[in-house]
Amino acid sequence: MQITQELLAALPEHIVIHGDEMTRPFECDGLSMYRQKPLAVVLPENIEQIRIVIEICNKHNTPIVSRGAGTGLAGGALPLDNSIVLGLSKLNKIKTIDPQAKTAVVEPGVRNIAISEAVAQHDLYYAPDPSSQIACTIGGNVAENSGGVHCLKYGLTVHNVIAIKMLTIDGEELILHRNDDGIGLLALMNGSEGLLGIITEVTVKLTPKPERVQLVMASFDHVRDCANTVSNIIKAGIIPAGLEMMDQFAIGAAEDFTHAGYPRDAQALLLCELDGDHDNVEQELTKLLALLSTAATIKVANSEQERLTLWQGRKSAFPSVGRLSPDYYCMDGTIPRHYLADVLENITQLSAHYALRVANVFHAGDGNLHPLILYDASIEGDIEKAEALGTEILKLCVDVGGSITGEHGVGIEKLNAMCHQFAADELEVFHQIKAAFDPQSLLNPGKAIPTLHRCAELGNMHVHNNELPHPELERF
Amino acid sequence: MNIEEIQQQILDAEQLQIIGNNSQLKSNHLNTLDMSAYSGLVSYQAEELVMTVKAGTTITYIESILAHNEQILPFSIKNTASTTIGGAYAIGSPELRDAVLGVKVIDGQGRILNFGGKVMKNVAGYDVSRLLVGSKGQLVAVCEISFRVLPKAYPVATSTGTIKQTPSKVRQQIEKNLKQVFDPNGRFV
Repeated sequence: MQITQELLAALPEHIVIHGDEMTRPFECDGLSMYRQKPLAVVLPENIEQIRIVIEICNKHNTPIVSRGAGTGLAGGALPLDNSIVLGLSKLNKIKTIDPQAKTAVVEPGVRNIAISEAVAQHDLYYAPDPSSQIACTIGGNVAENSGGVHCLKYGLTVHNVIAIKMLTIDGEELILHRNDDGIGLLALMNGSEGLLGIITEVTVKLTPKPERVQLVMASFDHVRDCANTVSNIIKAGIIPAGLEMMDQFAIGAAEDFTHAGYPRDAQALLLCELDGDHDNVEQELTKLLALLSTAATIKVANSEQERLTLWQGRKSAFPSVGRLSPDYYCMDGTIPRHYLADVLENITQLSAHYALRVANVFHAGDGNLHPLILYDASIEGDIEKAEALGTEILKLCVDVGGSITGEHGVGIEKLNAMCHQFAADELEVFHQIKAAFDPQSLLNPGKAIPTLHRCAELGNMHVHNNELPHPELERF
Repeated sequence: MNIEEIQQQILDAEQLQIIGNNSQLKSNHLNTLDMSAYSGLVSYQAEELVMTVKAGTTITYIESILAHNEQILPFSIKNTASTTIGGAYAIGSPELRDAVLGVKVIDGQGRILNFGGKVMKNVAGYDVSRLLVGSKGQLVAVCEISFRVLPKAYPVATSTGTIKQTPSKVRQQIEKNLKQVFDPNGRFV
């Protein structure tokens, strides 16, 4: 392969990985049902080496797929057969920490949790906490605009990044800052899934650790009571640091796996975490307990140990469910909160219709659903059934004014669903924005935005601006 | 004034300047698209912490509605009496951009486009609704804006302002390319 030889000649040999065996670890990301080996993988150790890769790829008209830790769940870092994978995990230095300004400047391959660990001595932390935070990189977080459990109060990645340095496909450096005058190019880069540029440095905002953190668990005999409680908490003026909901199936699975002390007979479980200074938390706690009148049981965690144990069940929800089924498919739709109960009931009906079990875990506070569809890939037709059910669930989310993806990104996984959320004109604008940065389409081409042709072939009904074709019809 | 009339006015003009209440950017152009008449609440549910309004709605009006539900805007705006939300969006600030969740706009070719939505978390497609904050009426006519609001008890983010400096050559080129995307005929001046 000519390009591989050229990369080997221009770069230190140990950072260029090639050959069938050696590139195998890079053939997929967290969405492992899709696999593809690239021409070669380059793991640069400095910015100059990234520039060389860009230059050589430009010359050969070869696509570049950027990759952080490869924990993405939507296939955003899936290699293309004719591509080079640019793995940024070796750029893992924390350059500076400024405790006064509450900022840190880090390289793109620094792991999310490593930032919080490094600044802990100053009683600070980096707020966005995707569940993969032990492994995922900050560069990947920016590319996906990652969320986590604490988004409702502390925001997404886009709210916690102050500046980035990036290289354009021409190898030019572009510095983007939150306080730049004019249009929001920094915001645009957040969630751009590696299609617009290569991130080489990130300045993040650090958050002071709260004085007190208080977790309350409440169980409910009726799902609707739990969903209404979520709305009532927000309506009462409380913004919890975390507000998580699980359905009966997920509760049982988590309890079997972690023995966190969840009530197995409950139909729904709510975990509500308050944080802040001591007095504020005390006031909010009093208010919160008064709002839990429909709960069957209430448990106020009275030690840090108990708090962590109760969280363990929720945080292990995916592997807990994974034990019950050979395969599961994780969805990531978002909905306006007041549709929670309706959407849940609809998912239950769909689950029965497709004869596939669905476990529901939600970031209820921000309306982000993670239904887990259980299936068995060894049974013929089961994958297709799971995908069809998943598509129905995402359509449901769009129909009530939500989105097909809250925090996992589109990648290759949700290209079809994009056709349902956006009309041809908007998709065309997306393609033109890409071309404004990358006219030859060399950066992660084919991901995130479906071609108009693909959408036409699918013939999906597009719900324009959430105006349903027959608004008079009852949808639930 | 309805959205089709705005669309028609854009298509009929060779060039026009988008204005709100003239409180932020002063107009000096003869042909103007006055968005201040396109105003009012589109949707608001207090428990969602999300409000959608038409671009000509004044900040004062928005704040009065929020006050009924003990809620506030998460960003601060000067001259609230005359400033429209569309004008504040066009001028832009980092804190306003943080709060934006979605927009309905008309581009330079008269196309009505929707970006983002009314939910806190949404990573489908590029974040165009935050990109266009600070576009100063040069890229699109902003018609509707959805944004996040806060309970009264929570502190409003401190205004950090914007830093005016000559953009680098690369940035200038990208901004030029994006002007071509949204307004290829240079209608919005």
